[in-house]
Amino acid sequence: MASNIIQVRDLRKTYPTGTEAVKGVTFDVKEGEFFGFLGPNGAGKTTTINMLVDLVKRTSGEIEIDGLKLETDAREIYQRLGFAMQEVGLDETATAREMLQLHGRLYHMPPERIESQIQKLLKLVELEKVADRYTHTYSGGMRRRFDLALSLIHEPKILFLDEPTQGLDPHARKLIWGHLRELNKAGMTVFLTTHFMEEAEALCERLAIMDQGQIVTEGTVPELLQKHGAKNLEEVFLKTTGSTLGEDTVDPSGDPFIRSRH
Amino acid sequence: MSTFFHDWYYLSIRSIKQIWRPLLALIPSLFIPIFFFVVNAASLSAFADVPGFPEGVSYRDFIAPIALFTAVFFSAGNPGIEMVLDISSGYFKKLMIMPINRLAIIFGRLTEVAVQAVFQGLIVLVLLLAVGVRIRTGIPGTFAIFGLLIVFAMGWSCVSMTFALRTQNARLVQSLFVIVFPFLYITTSQAPMHLLPPTFRVLATYNPITYIIEGVRALVLNDWGDPAIWKGYAVAIGMFVVLVAVALSSFKKVMK
Repeated sequence: MASNIIQVRDLRKTYPTGTEAVKGVTFDVKEGEFFGFLGPNGAGKTTTINMLVDLVKRTSGEIEIDGLKLETDAREIYQRLGFAMQEVGLDETATAREMLQLHGRLYHMPPERIESQIQKLLKLVELEKVADRYTHTYSGGMRRRFDLALSLIHEPKILFLDEPTQGLDPHARKLIWGHLRELNKAGMTVFLTTHFMEEAEALCERLAIMDQGQIVTEGTVPELLQKHGAKNLEEVFLKTTGSTLGEDTVDPSGDPFIRSRH
Repeated sequence: MSTFFHDWYYLSIRSIKQIWRPLLALIPSLFIPIFFFVVNAASLSAFADVPGFPEGVSYRDFIAPIALFTAVFFSAGNPGIEMVLDISSGYFKKLMIMPINRLAIIFGRLTEVAVQAVFQGLIVLVLLLAVGVRIRTGIPGTFAIFGLLIVFAMGWSCVSMTFALRTQNARLVQSLFVIVFPFLYITTSQAPMHLLPPTFRVLATYNPITYIIEGVRALVLNDWGDPAIWKGYAVAIGMFVVLVAVALSSFKKVMK
């Protein structure tokens, strides 16, 4: 039985505007698991994942990652995690190879290890031929694939992915799914937030569905289908959240992480 | 501490590369000091004949330190712009979740400022020497000028980094360069202190930039015994310590 690599207890986030983005979320992720966080836009998924890596300060609650606490062991935690964020943030003045080298150095990797990782990752995301081009010349799909490679440079134990295939064409999406499956098979724990049903169903061993800042149901896909008497995940989603997936609307609080549904 | 030096080194390399990317971005911060030097030296040369103006000093030599100073001053805003671009692109968040020392992020940018200050300062210095300006404190004095300007520029660049971290607004940070003008002109940049109008004199006395300019000027026109040199260093170091501390404390603002 695998141990829990992520433990979250009663996690809450209230923004200064009074918006309650996350209202007491509790869950565990097991080591080596492919865990999915599903929910409509504005459910609080991104705020939750950002709290897990300390990019958003939590109002209350406890987070433990690989037995370490964020408040005291942040640096050790950062060494073990990779994060491909919803917004693909790249250094536009650098080439892909330069960025990978810099990140390898900042993770204190030996030079020969960095070089072998660069070769491997560029091949994995099919960017070998454009590795020496400035990242600002990349298309949206290339940027996303490169972002994934960047988050993997130090071979993290846990990979956080926030809507990693948003805006990608079906080919690129399938390509990334394949890589993620391989990484997970190799032992990496993957924490994925998505609002694509198909993606969650194809990749995740276990899922939590979040709506309006709370987890409304949790389990493996067969467990969820049985629990909610549904034929597919979409039906589970409809029954638990009472909605379909809507368009993005920025929350009046002005926080880019909080979105509300139409 | 070893992590700090390691991170500082690699973040400095990244920042220094950004100075030349693109190369054309260097032109405005070189053009402005040279332009003002040429225009002012030519149009205000008669000012050297005003009673009370330092004996035996041409107006060209009097404002030569300003050309050196502005070459550094105008480029000190770049780190803030680069930082706000990192923030708005989301790259800054990547840095924040890496096991790196946050002070090294600031110091990486300060190294960029120092390198750019030397690069731009040297170009302006060569031009000044070419038109006949001489530095009376010699080669040691030239090193002292660069030392003073680098410490000041690194401190001043923290103003733009603080605004970048606290506002995360690219337009605001870019528009900050306008505050350079009052800080630059309400000083002794154009005339000696005793020739300034009384109100102007009071303002210039409280403007820290005055002491930096006077320090550089003393190194160009006078000798090592001039107390303006040490006052300039004291003000530059004081500004550096305070402004780095403020920039560092602004990191919290990036996280909501």
